[in-house]
Amino acid sequence: MSPRSIILRASALLLLATFIAAPQLFAFAFEPLTVNNAPAIYNQSSLLTLTVSHLRTVFLATLASTVLAIALAIFVTRPAGREFLPLSRSLMNIGQTFPPVAVLAIAVPLVGFGEKPTLIALFLYGLLPIFENTLTGLMEVSPRTLEAARGMGMNARQRLVQVELPLALPLILAGIRLSVIISLGTATIGSTVAAKGLGEVIIAGLQSNNVAFILQGGLVVALLAVLIHDGLGLAERMAARKLGRSADEVS
Amino acid sequence: MPTLRPTLHLDRLGAVIAVLIGVALFAAPFVTYRANRIVAGEGRLLTDALPPAGVTGVLIVVLGVTLCAALARKLLVRLGAAALGLCVIFPAVGWSAGFVTPSGNTFARVSPSVGFWLLALAFALLAADALTRLHFGPWARLAALAAAAGALALLLLSGAWNDLSLMKEYANRADSFWREARQHLWLAFGSMAAACLVGLPLGMVAHRIGRLRAAILQGLNIVQTIPSIALFGILIAPLGYLAAHVPLAAALGIRGIGAAPAFIALFLYSLLPIVANTVAGLSQVPAAVTDAARGMGMSARQRLLQVEWPLALPVVLAGIRIVLVQNLGLATVAALIGGGGFGTFVFQGIGQTAIDLVLLGAIPTVALSFAAAVILDAVIDLTQRGAHDRD
Amino acid sequence: MIEIEHLTKRYGADIVVDDVSFTVEEGEIAVVVGTSGAGKSTLLRMINRLVVPNAGRVLIDGQDTATVPEDELRHRIGYVIQGYGLFPHRDVAHNIATVPRLLGWDRKRIANRVEELLDLFQLDPGEFAQKFPHQLSGGQQQRVGVARALAAKPALLLMDEPFGSLDPVIRGKAQDDLLAIQRRLGTTIVLVTHDMNEAFHLGDRIAVMDQARLLQYATPAALLAHPAEAFVEQLVGTAERPFRLLSLVTVQEAMEQGNAEGEPLPLSASLRDALSQLIWRGREALPVADASGALVGRISIDAILRRGRSLA
Repeated sequence: MSPRSIILRASALLLLATFIAAPQLFAFAFEPLTVNNAPAIYNQSSLLTLTVSHLRTVFLATLASTVLAIALAIFVTRPAGREFLPLSRSLMNIGQTFPPVAVLAIAVPLVGFGEKPTLIALFLYGLLPIFENTLTGLMEVSPRTLEAARGMGMNARQRLVQVELPLALPLILAGIRLSVIISLGTATIGSTVAAKGLGEVIIAGLQSNNVAFILQGGLVVALLAVLIHDGLGLAERMAARKLGRSADEVS
Repeated sequence: MPTLRPTLHLDRLGAVIAVLIGVALFAAPFVTYRANRIVAGEGRLLTDALPPAGVTGVLIVVLGVTLCAALARKLLVRLGAAALGLCVIFPAVGWSAGFVTPSGNTFARVSPSVGFWLLALAFALLAADALTRLHFGPWARLAALAAAAGALALLLLSGAWNDLSLMKEYANRADSFWREARQHLWLAFGSMAAACLVGLPLGMVAHRIGRLRAAILQGLNIVQTIPSIALFGILIAPLGYLAAHVPLAAALGIRGIGAAPAFIALFLYSLLPIVANTVAGLSQVPAAVTDAARGMGMSARQRLLQVEWPLALPVVLAGIRIVLVQNLGLATVAALIGGGGFGTFVFQGIGQTAIDLVLLGAIPTVALSFAAAVILDAVIDLTQRGAHDRD
Repeated sequence: MIEIEHLTKRYGADIVVDDVSFTVEEGEIAVVVGTSGAGKSTLLRMINRLVVPNAGRVLIDGQDTATVPEDELRHRIGYVIQGYGLFPHRDVAHNIATVPRLLGWDRKRIANRVEELLDLFQLDPGEFAQKFPHQLSGGQQQRVGVARALAAKPALLLMDEPFGSLDPVIRGKAQDDLLAIQRRLGTTIVLVTHDMNEAFHLGDRIAVMDQARLLQYATPAALLAHPAEAFVEQLVGTAERPFRLLSLVTVQEAMEQGNAEGEPLPLSASLRDALSQLIWRGREALPVADASGALVGRISIDAILRRGRSLA
């Protein structure tokens, strides 16, 4: 990484952290956008609380989808589950045509308002990219590598844990990254179903016609997403480098 | 492998489907009855949801399909069985609505419930599995899509579903439904068309000039990362300013809130897949092919039009498929900022906890995305004819 | 006639082709041979101006190629490369029709030409015209590649390792076919290869290149008899030399009167092949037959040895 990009990342992170911790410092920048003496900085709850609960929702949902998606991908690539491989691929394709908002909206009447429908939507929608990438990663392991592993007397479990999963890791991480990014966005919309999150700031701005709220909410969410995307990308590149591949092959 | 298996072979997917169907028939309500639009409902098992003759008929068909799923090995038979199952339960749920609603009661609402959805899921799984393994060619897939769309249109136009809550929600908003539909399509397709106009030349430039390529793709990547509402929000401020201070902008209908920021955001989201796939498509044209084209005296224009574009087209179309499916879904969010589209019903429905209103917005969105995906996949296959390993 | 005069190509400080001159007569095959990186392909690509030379010029039938618009020039010169560069999105007929279409031939003329070429290359038009490149074997792709290059009846054909992706068995057959077609059409060919056997088999003249320079340009026999530099000698192979020489002479030239037992050899066979047959079949002599199958004489081991010694 070049010094310039390190400085750029560090200052973006610092800016975001400062804004979340002490938004009033930036009130001057948002005041011109307000009318009728409306507050320039969102004051219903602290940005810090909202950020933490936003990230918590995304983390929990991603964790659950990661575990299930990887398990499913392993299942359909083993002899016992091969029968479900073609079907699971088509379902994955069909699933991706469901917009995340629709999944969220349909979950509400089933489980009520609040955190729950958001978690469910994030979990379900987050499965797709992780499953797809894990599947691709596992299928792309060269048959010759597997043959060599068998020749060395590794059993099926050892092959999976010591050969297939490590080789698929960069792709799995890429899937998780995609899933996290989609979840960050969907969690923002989750505020419309009363989940605590950063979307609240934007929604409140829309409801009270306060452009300052809309903009600061948008900027915080955007910066957060870009930084997380970037950070996970770094992790991926490190994993890829361990395998002696260039990062370009992965992403 | 089939030849090694005993003749009476229990299909494992069939077993899963049989379990789903079992739960659907005997443990989950087929429809939900509510005294009015927003109160909590009570479930009705299939056995209570139709007159006895209907119950018997539906049971016979569903059990027949289950047997097919568990035992039949001919894929066309399995597909036919799934189609038959769907063709029976969809009208049946409409019929059930009429049967369950007390006559003359205009407030009561009947919606399909878990049992119905499980049955639909089971048959859809069976159909999807058969279709996947049948490896239909592009034309056959398009025909199957047309048949499904035709069947759906017939179901809706015949009035068989008129007693269902979903259709009552529609009947109350028939005008605004079609207005929002047009708006949704305009947002999704209009922004895609604009992105093609800009993205295709940009992709060509990025392909030619290596230094620009990295910068353009990185920039678009960052845009793609920004969640949709956040991007809408970021665009609202400058557009609002523009509307307030530039009379021409206001006259053109540009306002901070509304369709303009949604359209622009969708346009920006669309650029990455189009540019990235144009670059990828052009760079995968084999060097030997372009060299041969040059050696035969094709001009730069002829090479681009006759060799590079045709060979890049499937990859570019794959980008357009991504954009279309993505835009049709994201356009739903536009409703939050007053941009209209099917999202209007989704968010109204959430506000009123009226699931049928949510579905009125969600189902067309999903159906459109699905149809767009199937159609573009078929088109991609057709353009790939000859270029890749298809016999 | 192709006259290459002082062609030079530099990339920055690297000289890739250094002041190369030679002339290819009408209807001859000139083979440019050398190790990889010797500048052979760059030299070839300067003939159809895919690479623009820093100095020197190429004359085709007396006309300086720099005075002809590039695309027009290339329409007149056939070009075949390793891997052939067939258009994957066009079927065989369309691939072959590429240059005629660029030249605006009418439909009927193009169709006739395509059929004629498919026949010439022993590809049944009914079976192959509509096939796509990925449905062809390597040998068939190669033939389509050459047919495409010949479509507009160019007087000159440039070939860059045209047999490089073929396996050895098919390669020999493809070389024989190319020779037969070239003799029939009288096309002038400049061919680049790193395979010495191919050079001796196909070349009327051979240009040996090393490190951007042309070391020697001569007939195969002259190259064997009088290698100009140590590198040429090493390349043609000292131990192989007598056999290469024998491969340049046909049975006809060493035939004797009389008769012999066994399966006859054709008049056109090389002495190398004849010697090989004689050793393998354990005979001192074999009969020789002409193209119609009539016996016209005999060929003996003694005669071949005598002839070989006189060549050395």
